[in-house]
Amino acid sequence: MMTRFNQLPTLKIDPTKKVIFNYKGKTYSGVEGDTIASALYANGVRIYARSLKYHRPRGLYSLDGECSNTMMEVDGIPNVRTENTLLKQGMTVKEQNVKGSAEKDMLGFLDKLDWAMPAGFYYKMMHKPARIWPIAMKQIRKTAGLGEISPDFEMPGKFDEIFPRTDVVVIGGGPAGMTAALAAAEKGLRVIIMESRPWLGGFFDYRTAEYKDGVALYQRGQDLAQQVEANENIRVLKHTAMVGAYSNCLVTGFQTGTDKDAFNERYVEIRANSVIVATGCIERPLIFDNNERPGVMQVGCALRMARNYGILPGENGIFSVGHDLGLEAAIDLFDMGMKIGCVADVREDGQDPELVLALAKRNILLLKGWVATEAHGKKQVNKVSMSSIDGMITRDFDCDVLVASAGLTPVTGPLTMAQIKLRHDDFTGFFVADEMPENTFSAGRILGINNALSIECSGTLAGIKAAKACGACDAAEVEAAEAAMKALPGPVRGSKLVTAPVKGRKSFICFDEDTTIKSVKQTIDSGFDVPELVKRYSSAGLGPGQSGIPGHNLPLYVAKYQALAGVPVKPTTVRAPIVPTFIATYAGTNHTMHKRTPIHNLQVADKGILRKIGVWERVRYFSEDYSCKKEIENVRNNVGMLDGSTLGKFRLHGPDALKALQRIYVSDMSKLKPGRVKYSAMCNDDGCVIDDGVVVMLGENDYYITTSTGRAGQTVEWFRYHTRYDGWDFSMVNITDSMGVINLSGPNARKVFEKITDEDVSNEAFPYSGFKEMLFKDVIPAKVMRLGFVGELSYEFHVASSYMTSLWQLLKEAGAEFGIQNFGVEAQNVLRMEKCHIILGQESEQRTNLLDVGLGFLWDRKKADAKTVGAVALRQAENDPSRFKLVGFKMENNGRAPRDGALVVDSKVRGYIATARDSFSLNEAVGMALVESELAKVGTRLEIYEDECGDERIYGKVVPMPFYDPDGTRMKS
Amino acid sequence: MALTITCPICGKRNGYEFRYGGEDKGPRPEEAGLTPEAWCDYVHMNKCVAGVQKEWWFHKDGCGSWFTIHRDTTTNLEVKGPEADK
Repeated sequence: MMTRFNQLPTLKIDPTKKVIFNYKGKTYSGVEGDTIASALYANGVRIYARSLKYHRPRGLYSLDGECSNTMMEVDGIPNVRTENTLLKQGMTVKEQNVKGSAEKDMLGFLDKLDWAMPAGFYYKMMHKPARIWPIAMKQIRKTAGLGEISPDFEMPGKFDEIFPRTDVVVIGGGPAGMTAALAAAEKGLRVIIMESRPWLGGFFDYRTAEYKDGVALYQRGQDLAQQVEANENIRVLKHTAMVGAYSNCLVTGFQTGTDKDAFNERYVEIRANSVIVATGCIERPLIFDNNERPGVMQVGCALRMARNYGILPGENGIFSVGHDLGLEAAIDLFDMGMKIGCVADVREDGQDPELVLALAKRNILLLKGWVATEAHGKKQVNKVSMSSIDGMITRDFDCDVLVASAGLTPVTGPLTMAQIKLRHDDFTGFFVADEMPENTFSAGRILGINNALSIECSGTLAGIKAAKACGACDAAEVEAAEAAMKALPGPVRGSKLVTAPVKGRKSFICFDEDTTIKSVKQTIDSGFDVPELVKRYSSAGLGPGQSGIPGHNLPLYVAKYQALAGVPVKPTTVRAPIVPTFIATYAGTNHTMHKRTPIHNLQVADKGILRKIGVWERVRYFSEDYSCKKEIENVRNNVGMLDGSTLGKFRLHGPDALKALQRIYVSDMSKLKPGRVKYSAMCNDDGCVIDDGVVVMLGENDYYITTSTGRAGQTVEWFRYHTRYDGWDFSMVNITDSMGVINLSGPNARKVFEKITDEDVSNEAFPYSGFKEMLFKDVIPAKVMRLGFVGELSYEFHVASSYMTSLWQLLKEAGAEFGIQNFGVEAQNVLRMEKCHIILGQESEQRTNLLDVGLGFLWDRKKADAKTVGAVALRQAENDPSRFKLVGFKMENNGRAPRDGALVVDSKVRGYIATARDSFSLNEAVGMALVESELAKVGTRLEIYEDECGDERIYGKVVPMPFYDPDGTRMKS
Repeated sequence: MALTITCPICGKRNGYEFRYGGEDKGPRPEEAGLTPEAWCDYVHMNKCVAGVQKEWWFHKDGCGSWFTIHRDTTTNLEVKGPEADK
């Protein structure tokens, strides 16, 4: 392990705290604050992975995870960006895309076969003759793709999401972002600042050059960071990469948690009134031969390795740069102990004279107008060929690290994501936005400025503009800030060169996809003339780095190669997520949420077996016998109790309440009588039946209605939608959760009922379809309905949820002498099926209309004025012979019941089974099916196909409905 | 998802809170003399404007009202009516 600087004021590590991890089966140690990549580098690892196509060795390059070079498998998770992931105790790290090891990859020979794999070679080579493809595909699949994941792998960790709202969101925690946040916060606005690195500071953070008055840039950065963190109006989201920006000031990101957070990663969706883009710049990769050889790295990478992580990236450095930051880094690294053979600058002139002087003082050779053309060394760079940019003169230099960068390029992802048009600016060489959307402002280096004071001032200006947009300051303040900005140095000239004078067979424009300059040329020569097409055909920028490396170089190079006049250079489109993230974070936590009925605990205490049914958790069975024989027989012969609290329950009242009922229900609701229950159904505008339930008139313009369990959530919306043009005066309240329901059913139900009331509940006083408001034990007000869903004498008690426990126990005690028992949803399902009472959604599907299921008798045709929903369509469908019909059937030869959803077939599908069960009450298998109308006649034989039954068929016969108690005497007496 | 909607009762809220209720097509037609085609057009056919349209929204996670807004379908931003209502 190499010695590390442990006293630098810019360090982000704590050298005293060791972190032990496992790499390729061996134990290694890093220190707290290390990323996985920096810890590996400190342990002498230089080759992190092999490239996708040619299996070339790859190493540290940018340190911000813009390419797949340093993606590794960490704790079983493939494609982890090790430059961005902090090291944790006990991590297990593995190399990817290698056969053997990254050091000795048996597929390394592929690099020599690049001539056989031109751009688009899959498309070109593998399709003729067609039989090649299945064979070739297998081989290609084996070698292609990065990382492997086991299908059984379960993602560990906790994932969360937050949706904060704020006045101003600042993307980027560098100097411009921080000053912008402070300026906006000073105006009293709430600010969220997001920064992709685990700390604030941006590019001030690792530089020792002077800011002002003897204060170094990193000190200024730390000072700003402290101010931001201390400001109560600013919420700081560190280690939060922006992944999406949308219209209306919506910004999304992914935040990596620390040890103190309750999440590993979380999705952040920020809704703001104003957005400030202060994403700054990344370095424009310099393209030359073997420009991605391990040992070649960008300026920021080399300097941050030393300054933030205390690791001198090499002993003998060579620089090939195009920007003053490169010269500054060379000086700093030299002072920290790196020998520097030469600094080549692609610029002939325009360097900061002080930096030139400082280089000269240190006897560092500065070659103006020179550039690296080739990195030598098989696995790691050991020599560099340099040339003047015209290619006339060349010289070789030995080195173990080559710091290479063509210049700077703005991080425009957030701008293009927000659909802002970008223009190439010849002076800065940047893609710039001339027009910003409403309330969106940019600040800092993205504007092409480079002076530290200008950068901060641009941040302040953007912060004040955002405050103005939020109405927190006036135009005069914006003007003052603009004037201050004008007094400071503006944008600086940028370097234009992207590619060294080389042929480009091994000059990589995209590392992720192994796209070379040569492949881009081939692509353009094949006729793909626009960057978007070049990108797709050559696959430059389609890798996991999301165009981080080729993003701006590709359009610039395409423009240069084509040399067309008058064609503007445009960057290719960026889409969310603009940095790679875990699918697990998108998926979030799997919350199993459901509602419970008011007597849930009593049901569970009675050994109820729970199932999730829609939004509810309900008791489906009361024993392990899932046929529910005992529960069913008890209801048929004695008396049972069901918790029906999930039923949708509503109060509808107001002068126009009846009009609303007439619009929604197919029946004529003006015929409702007090003390009576009316059963009816609702259709949609296609006449398809969507719900059924009962309506009770409580008083003048006051109604109580029930809906099916599944429909309860949409009912208010449905009533309001279909009356939205009418301006009717009615109110509707969903009281599903505040009311509970107990269903008391069976021949002995009345005997139980009589024990809890003194009122007359005889068949004459409380007949079938009757309704009474009653008071039990002087305190429990209840709405009681005499219904018969299960086909027996049956009462439904609707009481406030808070009274459910009392009433349940009251009935249970009253029923004890008869042996009252619980029954669950499955027993109810069989009981009602025997009676052919339908459940919508089970005996119907999306296309089933009211007439198909035999509920046509509910429809009143004489109320056209009500414009009843579904009536027009029902009239049109009335005589349509092509519609399905609901029929009852029983199985032949005492056969078993088919499964629900089985198909009715002959040579094609003719219908399907809705519900079918082996009926204990009838001693045979019966069920209901939706079939084509010609199969609906009683006596028709039905051929039934079940899933995976092969050639076996079972047969049923259409019989009249209902099966049980056809004249309804049990229900009505 | 970036859409915000101004509910007449609750004010400007996140678009997630609402459910779309289709283009504004006017009140239900009179049933007398209605042809199947005219009915089908009313229920199912849309103008699909590229530009500003008047449309219905339901505040499902809020006050539960149905109301109309004007929205530019090309930018997915709510715009001010009624001058947008050509």
